[in-house]
Amino acid sequence: MPANHLEVSVRLKPGGVVLDLHGEINGFAQEALNAAYADAEAKDPETILLNFEEVDYIDSTGIFLITRLLAKARASKRRLLAYGLSDHYVEIFNITRLSDFVSVFPDEESALSEASVS
Amino acid sequence: MTAPRSGAPRTLAELSLPSEPGNERRASEEVARAVSELGLPQRTLERLKTAVAEATKNAMEHGNRYDPEVPVKIQVWLLEERLLVRIIDRGGSPPPSPNAQTPDLEAKLEGMQTQRGWGLFLIKNMVDELRVSGNPDHHTVELIIHLKGEDDAG
Repeated sequence: MPANHLEVSVRLKPGGVVLDLHGEINGFAQEALNAAYADAEAKDPETILLNFEEVDYIDSTGIFLITRLLAKARASKRRLLAYGLSDHYVEIFNITRLSDFVSVFPDEESALSEASVS
Repeated sequence: MTAPRSGAPRTLAELSLPSEPGNERRASEEVARAVSELGLPQRTLERLKTAVAEATKNAMEHGNRYDPEVPVKIQVWLLEERLLVRIIDRGGSPPPSPNAQTPDLEAKLEGMQTQRGWGLFLIKNMVDELRVSGNPDHHTVELIIHLKGEDDAG
């Protein structure tokens, strides 16, 4: 099947910066993910939101990359939130305990609502 | 509708894929296609696809060192009440130990554990049984899903 390499766009919203993720989060995603996260950090938000609505695949390397983003966010005292994960990837966030550190929401509205409470 | 599962062990698919980055998804999609007649619940199917992709990636990376001339072989078997997916590589490095250290996210975030090491952990959590065996010529990883009661799961 054709590769669907990750593309990321960055949006500034009241309450935080949203990273809109499109494609697969695997070993090919590192550059795009890190560049987008750096763009988001440059805006100095309290909260960064990861939008997974257009993500169709996350592998163990993807979990590693998300863990690195989480480590960066914690180091700079930012909150990392996630929304739009499929049920399967919500389960994987639970199994890996990522959901203990990255609050998971069903959609952008509920995530932004949480982001605006600080 | 779920297909009957009685009878002798039956091969559902035999695949041979070049060891090239990205082919783990092809493996998971082809295995999903091979088991479509079983009518697995969506949750079980998604878990199986993740386990197959991770095990195939390990085989390509560690077993075959991403040599595209060396294929990963995948066999899908329907046994009495079990689905068996066998993933075989050339065995370039020691087989992964199913008893490897469990990843601890907090320790990883504190730099006390490498941030990698999620693949085998995911596989173990996605299937009912994981078996690893090997000799100097090859490694075999067996992923087993118990089918009894699957119709009600999910």
